[in-house]
Amino acid sequence: MTGKNRTGVLKKTAGAVLTAVLGFSLLSGCSSGTKEETAAGESGSSNSERVTLKVEVFDRGNSPSPYTITNNWLTQYVQKEFGDPNNIDVEFVPVQRSEETTKLNVLMASASDVPDIVFVYDSSVFYRYAQQGGLADVGELLDQYGSNLKTYLGDETLKFGQLEGKQFSIPGKRAITGRYASYIRQDWLDKLGLPVPSTTDELYNTLKAFKEQDPGSLGGNNIPMGMALAPAQYETLIYSFIQPVKGDLTYSQRYEMPLHEGFKDAMQFLNKLYNEGLISKDFSLDEEKEQLVKDIQSGNVGFWSEDVDRIFYADGTLDNLYKNVEGSKVVPVDAYSNPNEGDKHIKSRYGSNGMYMMIPKSSKRAAEAVKYLDWMASDDNLITMYSGVEGENYEMKDDIPVLKADATQEMIDRIYNAGDMAIISNGKAIGDEETNEKAWIAGFPENNQEMLRQSIDLANTDTVGPIIFGKPIEAEAKYGTALNDKLKVVIVQSAMAKPDQFDAVYEREMNDFMNIGGTELKKELEQALQELGQ
Amino acid sequence: MTKAKATEAASVKRYGGMSRRTSYMKRYWQLYALLALPLLYFIVFRYGPMYGVQIAFKDFNLFQGINGSEWIGLEAFREVFAMRDFYTTLRNTFMLNFLDLVVSFPAPIILAIMLYEIRSAWFKRISQTILYIPHFISWVIIGGIVYQLFGTQSGMINGVLQSFGFEAVPFLTDKNSWLITYLFTGVWQSAGWGTILYLAALSGVNRELFEAADVDGATRLKKIWHITLPSIKPTIVTLLILNLGKMVSIGFDRPYIIGNTAVREYSDVLSTFVYRIGLEAGQYTLATVVGLFQAVVGLVFILGSNYISKKATGDGII
Repeated sequence: MTGKNRTGVLKKTAGAVLTAVLGFSLLSGCSSGTKEETAAGESGSSNSERVTLKVEVFDRGNSPSPYTITNNWLTQYVQKEFGDPNNIDVEFVPVQRSEETTKLNVLMASASDVPDIVFVYDSSVFYRYAQQGGLADVGELLDQYGSNLKTYLGDETLKFGQLEGKQFSIPGKRAITGRYASYIRQDWLDKLGLPVPSTTDELYNTLKAFKEQDPGSLGGNNIPMGMALAPAQYETLIYSFIQPVKGDLTYSQRYEMPLHEGFKDAMQFLNKLYNEGLISKDFSLDEEKEQLVKDIQSGNVGFWSEDVDRIFYADGTLDNLYKNVEGSKVVPVDAYSNPNEGDKHIKSRYGSNGMYMMIPKSSKRAAEAVKYLDWMASDDNLITMYSGVEGENYEMKDDIPVLKADATQEMIDRIYNAGDMAIISNGKAIGDEETNEKAWIAGFPENNQEMLRQSIDLANTDTVGPIIFGKPIEAEAKYGTALNDKLKVVIVQSAMAKPDQFDAVYEREMNDFMNIGGTELKKELEQALQELGQ
Repeated sequence: MTKAKATEAASVKRYGGMSRRTSYMKRYWQLYALLALPLLYFIVFRYGPMYGVQIAFKDFNLFQGINGSEWIGLEAFREVFAMRDFYTTLRNTFMLNFLDLVVSFPAPIILAIMLYEIRSAWFKRISQTILYIPHFISWVIIGGIVYQLFGTQSGMINGVLQSFGFEAVPFLTDKNSWLITYLFTGVWQSAGWGTILYLAALSGVNRELFEAADVDGATRLKKIWHITLPSIKPTIVTLLILNLGKMVSIGFDRPYIIGNTAVREYSDVLSTFVYRIGLEAGQYTLATVVGLFQAVVGLVFILGSNYISKKATGDGII
């Protein structure tokens, strides 16, 4: 029994440390005022002097020995192939994955420590930095040094990074837009002689049967439906009740879900599931999904939703379940149907862009930064960064790098953080979506590939995507974080209320939600929506 | 007295004072040198950051720095005082601190008396060491232990309860049960360490008093009531006043780590609020306003309790 909430707790330590650091960074902020006028584009002309380019990298604490997050096969590859020929020392600045924005806020406040390339997923954070004048306009630099990068990303993707016509960020490209899939224990269904559920109602009945008849003979450990306070679990449920605002589009941010019709139905359903003991009792404590994964692997969970790829990695959730529980069998299932949307299997998909890569205005290495990203987009560099060495890690089949099953552990470890190093691409974006999917699947253990294929197909069915307004929504920048936090409270409180108190609790929490910025946000979104329609 | 005489007298006085003071400083310069480091600490880490307090009155822009940001007067204060979350967190800060005082304050006193009554020296020493240990464990680790023990479905305590046929208790997710968990962890962590001051005070009690009481036929409880407790009364009063002065300030780690989304209504306090709006949302101005508010109210409390202390015990803290 290692720490159930280890990551959560680590995150919390980091929080404490960050608070302590805040005082200093605010102080040093005053010194940055004088320096920040340094133009971004001037550098790069003098090639004679060796310079240092600092690049942010996510640290997930999973570096295999002897590698570290700042010194591994990929960093060495970057240094050898890009750094040395251009007389640049590439230095990687680790940021813990879970403190993506908190650490970035601190880094940005310091003029000297901020990396030359930083990134964030949240568009409102990008807009806030851009509006406060903290980011370099990279339009000209892209024209000058980024021809490969521009071709790779395409105008469509680049548009996501513009604000008032200026290119304040470079958005990554997303390989696959399918997000979530659900899974059920086929052996439990077989034992009870039940069919695979295909609507939300059927799912409910199946869960009830799981609870009452306990096909796994688990007693108190029986969890008919695995739940966590994480997007992959609650978004799938909520999306099977809410109505899109326009065609197949919804508002883009997670905390904007409560502004859609049908949200209350979703909460009501969740409340029912919780009070009838059908979902994980402590889901509100499990923001990192650690308990959920543990429960699934021990064979305690009958049905659950997850990120489409999450359970299929080598020695991952699925492999462990099969190892731990003899006779267990999992199948992907499209059980959630949306009664408010013609019983379609509505689920969310990603927008076509990845994360926002930004170059701080105070950076003196803006040109080198663009060159680095351009290098990544050119030749076979992206494939190498994703798949390792041809002939050792992978072989090309039909233009798709297929991972070799007989690669040694040492070879596999080379690319353990590929996804975090190849920042211009979210997932293996090497061609159109179909090619990307094939390439992606080819990177998984062979025995899981077939089921991953099915998962992806389900994740791509009846999807609704984020609406793109092409301009910042002020209320998002202002209230986003508070609302995101409040969303979790709304979900937890609605779920855990006694059934007869559900309405009162839901009203109270939603009132709060609207009062702390929800109202302003709703108004602004509706206005933007109207402008878009004209 | 003429003007000239007055100046002369003043200068003589000043000169004399100065010379005595400088020679004292020269003779005991080592003492001043020892003081330099702590002073430096306070200047750098306690007074230096006060420069940033002006952020509360500015529309702080990360990239313009403090000097480059616009003055906005009290606008941010108005915004904070209009936030419902601010009042919730303020109420929780007082509530958790007050309950902590009620529950955690007597614990070390009782424990200290119990330890004092023990006659076997080795047993006393061992139990003291065991009692001190929790104080040195970081809240992060305590948080991990608490979640392992008190989880509803997978926690050890509930496992035991259920095996005896009881219903599982949501120690961490029901706000009232959570309060008990929170307070209990506080007692566990701090009670042992808190005994040190009381034991120190008790070590000065004249043993003859107990012998005299024995001769008079006093019971053990009588002796505790009439000898032990009165002799640590000043310590109790001083500590109580100190604690009252700290009512508005609350540590970040404990409520943040033991707290969770389900009990946010109780676990959200000023310090976690500042963290959330300041570091997570990047609204530095609002966070600074809350911090400044906390500091000012804290100062009022300290001065107030100092005043009470002077009245009650004739001795101030400041």
